[in-house]
This record gives sequence, structure tokens and C-alpha cells, in this order.
Amino acid sequence: MKIRRTISRAIGLMQSLVGGLAIFLAFLCYYNVFDVQVMLGFSIENVELYMLVFIIFGLFSIISGLFLFYEQ
Amino acid sequence: MPQPHLKRELGLLRTTMLGIGGTLSAGNFVIIGHAVGLVGYSIVPVVLICGIISLLTMLSYCELSAAIPKAGGEYTFVKVAYGGFISFVTGWFEWLSNMFYAALSSIGFAYVVSYIFPQINLPLTAVIIVILFTFINVRGMKETGTAETVITAFVLAILGTYILSGWSYTKEISISLPSSPIGLIGIFAATAYLFELYLGAEAVAAAQAEIKNPRKNIPRAIILSAIVLIALYTSIVYIAVKVVPPEVLSQQSSPIAFAADQLMGPLGGVLVTIGLAIAGLAATNEAIMAQSRVLYAMSRDGYLPKELSKIHKRFCTPYVAVVAGSVFILILTATGFINFVVYAVNLGFIVGFTIVNFSVMKLRKDAPYLERQFKTPLYPLTPIAGIATSVFLLAFIEPSVLILGLELSIIALLVYYVRMIGYARIRIAFGGISLGLGGFIVFLTYLMRNGNISLSSVSSEIATIVLYALLFVGVVQILAGVLNVTAPSRD
Repeated sequence: MKIRRTISRAIGLMQSLVGGLAIFLAFLCYYNVFDVQVMLGFSIENVELYMLVFIIFGLFSIISGLFLFYEQ
Repeated sequence: MPQPHLKRELGLLRTTMLGIGGTLSAGNFVIIGHAVGLVGYSIVPVVLICGIISLLTMLSYCELSAAIPKAGGEYTFVKVAYGGFISFVTGWFEWLSNMFYAALSSIGFAYVVSYIFPQINLPLTAVIIVILFTFINVRGMKETGTAETVITAFVLAILGTYILSGWSYTKEISISLPSSPIGLIGIFAATAYLFELYLGAEAVAAAQAEIKNPRKNIPRAIILSAIVLIALYTSIVYIAVKVVPPEVLSQQSSPIAFAADQLMGPLGGVLVTIGLAIAGLAATNEAIMAQSRVLYAMSRDGYLPKELSKIHKRFCTPYVAVVAGSVFILILTATGFINFVVYAVNLGFIVGFTIVNFSVMKLRKDAPYLERQFKTPLYPLTPIAGIATSVFLLAFIEPSVLILGLELSIIALLVYYVRMIGYARIRIAFGGISLGLGGFIVFLTYLMRNGNISLSSVSSEIATIVLYALLFVGVVQILAGVLNVTAPSRD
């Protein structure tokens, strides 16, 4: 069980970090920081849709990751 | 030993003042400038139309308040009508909207005061106001109601002076709906934008547990508030465009104070600024009170932690709910995200108004035995018109705000299911979604690797980085999914 808990913590932490980065990327895209829209080839008219997808994915990953991180 | 409970201390006058005071936010008099820019002289009928649209739903509030005299407002009505997730979502949006409204009012207050004292720190001033009214709300309804009555009476006296001066102004204007600079779309956009003007009066329903003879006093207070507000706002904007041309008015940061300055001299401008600043205080007070009562009701019903429904032994107020909500309000206020706050307020209330109108119709059908001392006139046309106009206004809200609404709904869904169904089942659900997402991302990576999906618009280095990042994310999601699905149960 100790090994499982260690793996769960590590994967949970990674998943939460991925979620946080996805939300961060959403805001980078929306405000076009560092010209991210051009760098990733996102069309300006669809930026809000990308933002929505990234934020939902990010929130989901953070919550799922926290479930694993705090596994009893 | 009897449990502490909320006291019924507010009569008709103070309840009506609560409704008017909650609506007269300082921010409302600032956003009029932008709307004037959209529709020109047609601002007068637009404000009138907004009032009538609001009144349609207020009649539904009257019927439900008279039939279901319990604290919680919309949330309680919808709980009786639908129960379950719909009532939770209504309460959730009502709570969020009131918190956003409190933040908006306090920030609006700071902006208005800066007209006279430009050297003040705006976020700090707004934060101090929130702390002050949190303390007043913890102290008790008597203090809250008295403060609200005094503040509202003072503001009405100042605005009354402005209106009386304006009616004696001799210049005449011609008002017709098609005079909008950008046509009918501009009229609709301004109506959706100014919908916020009349928000706040419905908060009377949230304070039912503290109002004397609520079955009679609440419907009367809501209708009285609505009529006074329609007359007040229409007169204010009529006089503003009568005194100052719309193209000049729309450029002002505080358009009504500017109009008063032109009409009554510098003293008039200062007087109206003081009035609007005080209105900001009243609206902040009202919104803090309303959010705490919704939080209290949701906690009482088990949707949120029980600590939030604790009543103070000495002051008989839901002090934990007051303080908890105020913490969020303080954070919002300190950030100063005013646009985010305005959009969230409008969307939340439009959603709430729509569900309230549906609740009236459902209860008429499912619970005809309910004692209704007030009935919505012209039923079912009135609630149907309320729903139609609310849904129509949604079409003119900015898409980014609708996305925000969707995100808040998803969070509400998560909170509801985490509270209502077992921890293990939630984890299995999350695990399943993780597996699906991970599988999809890995498949996407495979297609990109084989050139079925091309990243032609980006450089090859960036495409390689994206490919490996996606693969990593996909693998993490699959592993997390497996671990969550196979997690040991602790239910």
C-alpha cells in the first residue's frame, strides 16, 4: 500500500501541475502573452473556445490530481 | 434551551427601503454613460423597458414570497418547486451574484468618492467599506435595516433635489426608439447592459425570516420598490440627456454628477456625488446581507458545510456565513476586476430570474393548495414574458461572459455531486473521464505523428515539443485514471 500511495502522490501531483499549466496556457492564449496565439497557430476568432477547453481540462485535472494526492 | 434564530424586525417601510437601497448602487450611475453612447436620446425608453422587464419577474417574486415565507429568496422558492440540483444551482448563482454585486458596489463607491478626493487609494477604500459592512451585518438585522433606511432616505432626498431641478429646466428633447446611433441592435444591447440597473430589489425576498408579516409586506415592498425605481431612474436619465447632449454625457466617468454640475452648479455635482457614494454603501450592505442569507439556507439544507448556518447567540445573525462570504468579497474587491464582476452579476441574475419564473408556473400546477396572498396578474403571460425577455437578453451578453457562466455551472455541478454522492463514486467518475481523456490525447498524438493531423502553421521545433507534451499529458491522464478507478473505498 505504501508503494501505491507514493505512486498516487506522484501522479496526482503531476496531474494537478498539468491542470495548472493548462489554465496558465489558457490565459497566455487569451491575452496573447509572448505571441502564443501565433506560436501555436491559434486563430483569433476561436481563442475563447480554446480558453474554455483549457480551463475545463485544467480544473478537471487539478481536482482529479488532488483526489490522488490526498488518497488515504 | 431554545436555539438562537433570526428575528422578525423589519416593517413595510424598512423592507421597501431595503429593496430600493439594494438597487441604488453607485456603479449603476456610472454605466449609464456607456449606454447613452449606445442609444443616444433613446436611453429614456430603454431604461423604462428595463424597468418593465424587471417588474415582470418581480411579480413572480411577490407570489413566491407570499406563498413560501422562508429565508433564502430564489434558492428557497426553487427548492420547493424543483428541489435537487436546480435549486442548488439557483442558490449557487444567487450567492455568487450577490458577492460580485457587493464587490461592484464597494468599488463603485471608491470610484465615485475619487471624483471629490482623487488622491484616495481605490482598492483600499473599497476593502475598508466591505470590512465595515461585514461588521454591521454580524451585529444584527436591526442595525442593518436602520442603516439601510437612513442611507436610502438620504440618497432619495439628494436624487429628488436633482430631479426637481431638472423638471424646471426648459429645454425639450424628442425621444423615439429608432434614434439609436447603431439601430435596433444598439437598443437591445443597451437593454441587456442596463438590466443591472434594477438588480437588488429582489434581495428583499432573501431576508424573509427577518420581516414582519412577510406574506403581506414582502409583495408590497417589492412592488413599491420597483415602481419607485422605474420612476426614479427614468427621471434621472431623462434629465441627464435633457441637460447634457448624449455624445458629451457618454464621455463622462460620472455622467449623472456631471449633469448635476451643469444643472445646479458645482455644488450640485458635489451633492450628487455624495448621494451616489452613499448609494454605493447601501448596496454593499444589502448585497453582503443577501449573500449570507443564501449561504445560510444552502448550509441549513446540507448542500454546504453545517458551520455556515451557525447563528450568533447574542446578535442572532448567521455570522459565519456573513464572514465567509465577505472573505471572497474582499478578495474580489482587492483585485479590482471590475469588468469581470459586472458581467458575472448580470449573467447570474438573468439565470436566477428565468428559473424563478419557471418556479411560479411549476408551483401553480403542482401545489395549487399553497396559500397565495398575492397572485401574479395575467398568469401565465407574465412569467412567460419574464422568461422570454430574460432569455432574449442572454443573446446580447458578451460570449466571454457566457463561457464564464458555463465554467461556474461546472464548478457548481462538482460541488453538488461531491456533497451529495459518495466520495468513492466521484473518484471512479473522475478516473473514467481521465482514462477517456488520456486515451483521446494519445490517439491524437498518434495521428499527428503519422501526419493525419498537420501542424502546418507552426515551426517543426514547436510541433515536436507539442507532440511530446501531448504524449506526456496523455500518459499522466491514463495513469491517474487507472489509480482513481482502482482506489480503495473509504465510504
